[in-house]
Amino acid sequence: MLLLLLIAQGSALAAVDCFSCHDRDTFQRRVKHQPADDGECFTCHNPHVAPHEGLIKKAIPRLCFNCHEDMRDGLQQAVVHQPVRDGQCLACHHPHSSDQTGLLNARLVDTCLACHTGLPKQYKYTHQPYAQGKCSACHEAHQSDHRGLLVKEPTALCLGCHDRSALKRKHADYPGELKNCGTCHSPHGSDRKGLIRNVLHQPYADGCGDCHSGKNTPVGIDTCLNCHEDVEEQMASSHNHLVRYKENGCIACHSPHAGDDGRLLKGSDRYVCSTCHLDTFQHYDAAHYKHVKTASCADCHAPHGSNFPNMTKAPINAVCYPCHEKHSEFSHPIGEDVFDPRTQQILTCASCHAVKGTQHESHLRYDGHRALCIQCHRDI
Amino acid sequence: MTEMSKQKVWHWTVGVLGIALLLLPAPATAESPWKWQKSLRIETPGDAMYMPSAVSFDPSTERYYVVDTGRNRLVSYSRAGAMVKAFSADNRLLAPFDMVRLDDGTLWVVEKGRNSLTSINVGAKQVTPHVLRDGAQRIFPDRVAYGQGALYVLDRASGNVLRLNEDLSVAQRFGCPDCTDGFADFAVTDDAVWALETLEKKVFRFRPDGSIAETIHFKGQVGFPVSMAMGVGLDDALYILDRHQHRIVVFKRNGQFMYEFLELGQGPSQVQFPRQIRFDPWGNLCVVDEGNGRVEVFSR
Repeated sequence: MLLLLLIAQGSALAAVDCFSCHDRDTFQRRVKHQPADDGECFTCHNPHVAPHEGLIKKAIPRLCFNCHEDMRDGLQQAVVHQPVRDGQCLACHHPHSSDQTGLLNARLVDTCLACHTGLPKQYKYTHQPYAQGKCSACHEAHQSDHRGLLVKEPTALCLGCHDRSALKRKHADYPGELKNCGTCHSPHGSDRKGLIRNVLHQPYADGCGDCHSGKNTPVGIDTCLNCHEDVEEQMASSHNHLVRYKENGCIACHSPHAGDDGRLLKGSDRYVCSTCHLDTFQHYDAAHYKHVKTASCADCHAPHGSNFPNMTKAPINAVCYPCHEKHSEFSHPIGEDVFDPRTQQILTCASCHAVKGTQHESHLRYDGHRALCIQCHRDI
Repeated sequence: MTEMSKQKVWHWTVGVLGIALLLLPAPATAESPWKWQKSLRIETPGDAMYMPSAVSFDPSTERYYVVDTGRNRLVSYSRAGAMVKAFSADNRLLAPFDMVRLDDGTLWVVEKGRNSLTSINVGAKQVTPHVLRDGAQRIFPDRVAYGQGALYVLDRASGNVLRLNEDLSVAQRFGCPDCTDGFADFAVTDDAVWALETLEKKVFRFRPDGSIAETIHFKGQVGFPVSMAMGVGLDDALYILDRHQHRIVVFKRNGQFMYEFLELGQGPSQVQFPRQIRFDPWGNLCVVDEGNGRVEVFSR
């Protein structure tokens, strides 16, 4: 009993001591973090000295995981939100108190849009949950078993609000079970009624008969390539991007009916490409030094096929030069007449730089002060 | 409890746990028995292989054949690793990607540039492209193998492995209807067809009638598997090439991890963009490295 009294007294003293300097009001907003509210400042902070800013005892997120073990366990799920993966708990949450549920730094929608800057606040026609700022109606904040951090498998998520019978009546000619709503409808909003994505595939705009020969008759890849001859030429490459996807690999990436831009992709570049190349994005996200994000994967890669390494749309130096114009004038000799002495391969920008990121400055493959140079210049 | 007594308890706990850990048996992960033996490469700057994508073998003449995709040619090497000849079929090959050589000397080459399975009679200088169909569907050949007396191709469009009749019509399909994606590579052994599925990280063993006899799941151990080889008669292990992690991961037949080897780089035992693994007829493991323009050969 004496011991308990001593501990209790210690906590109270700690609280009194801290708040004599630190403004208590900033700890007393509507939603309070339990340790701060209980005056248990020493749960997270050392009052005298600590190895981390803010005198916290451990680095974040390890400090947070001390209590929030479920968050650490959740990192094993298939899809983890980038700030969570990077351990940036404070990117969204306030450690002491907040006026927002979940100790968020701002309203939910404002917290999300602070990073997701490509999303408009509203569309001409906006999906109701989006208009109401209820991102969490469809998305998990931390981790999920579903792509896009969706709370459920996409079709099940839509059918959670939209009555299946009513949808069937609206899609009377749809072959088979209704699913994959997002291939035609934008889950956030669009300029078209019914949230149909903004750009229509011309044959779809003209009717169905150009591609569909009858109910339950699959539309094969040859139907697509009959019109898109350029794509067929691109696919006749050593590295083509043809994949198995039901009867038609084209619709692995493209919506045959409507999309957000002329490419008719099923979603953003990242969403579509990470279907298969998730590990590439995770590597990029985790790298300390990396190439700046480009607007589209297709800025560097030929998405249908290419005869160049990594399916780049041209030899790697030609891909880099349009943006890195000056480097072509002063860099280490590279190009078709310069060969890597280790492999006799043509020396390129990629011989020294790894675009998807490394732990070395300028995303060099080795430390640029010496280790990189002695890979070839062994006599230095 | 004072801070000091808390620390004492903590130190005792850590000490006891540490001793307990030391007494536990070490994890059963083996060292790789594979040692670098040689590189199949062309040393001449300007003529080095560019983006090789496959290796094949001829046990009778003790030759390696490497498909030098970027230079539209096939390059043969002696068993010792010396380059013998570069063959372009009079510059008629277009993005060759894989090949097999049959006992009668016929070369069957996957030409991505023509979307064909091309037969080459070297002596007669005959090059015959064949565009394959499976019923109404066009076949997009990706990999080719010969085994159990028949040609097999991997069709990228359907994702299935196809056993072909002599007239190149489809005799049997080996597929996984429930898989997310199609197969990325396959192997034919005396009694089975094996196929690798990249996204779900599974290897399937098929019976001759196309039904699935066994599924080996190795999820979590591998990032982006693109090629596989079966160590039949060697260690009965499953060899998986992880392109993005620049390594080969070896599993027991039940999917249990055994060991891994290789790393990113340009030196021996290092790879840049590995594309394919195959066992040669002499028990060596060959790694086709697209990024470094060579085939690394490892022996036990």
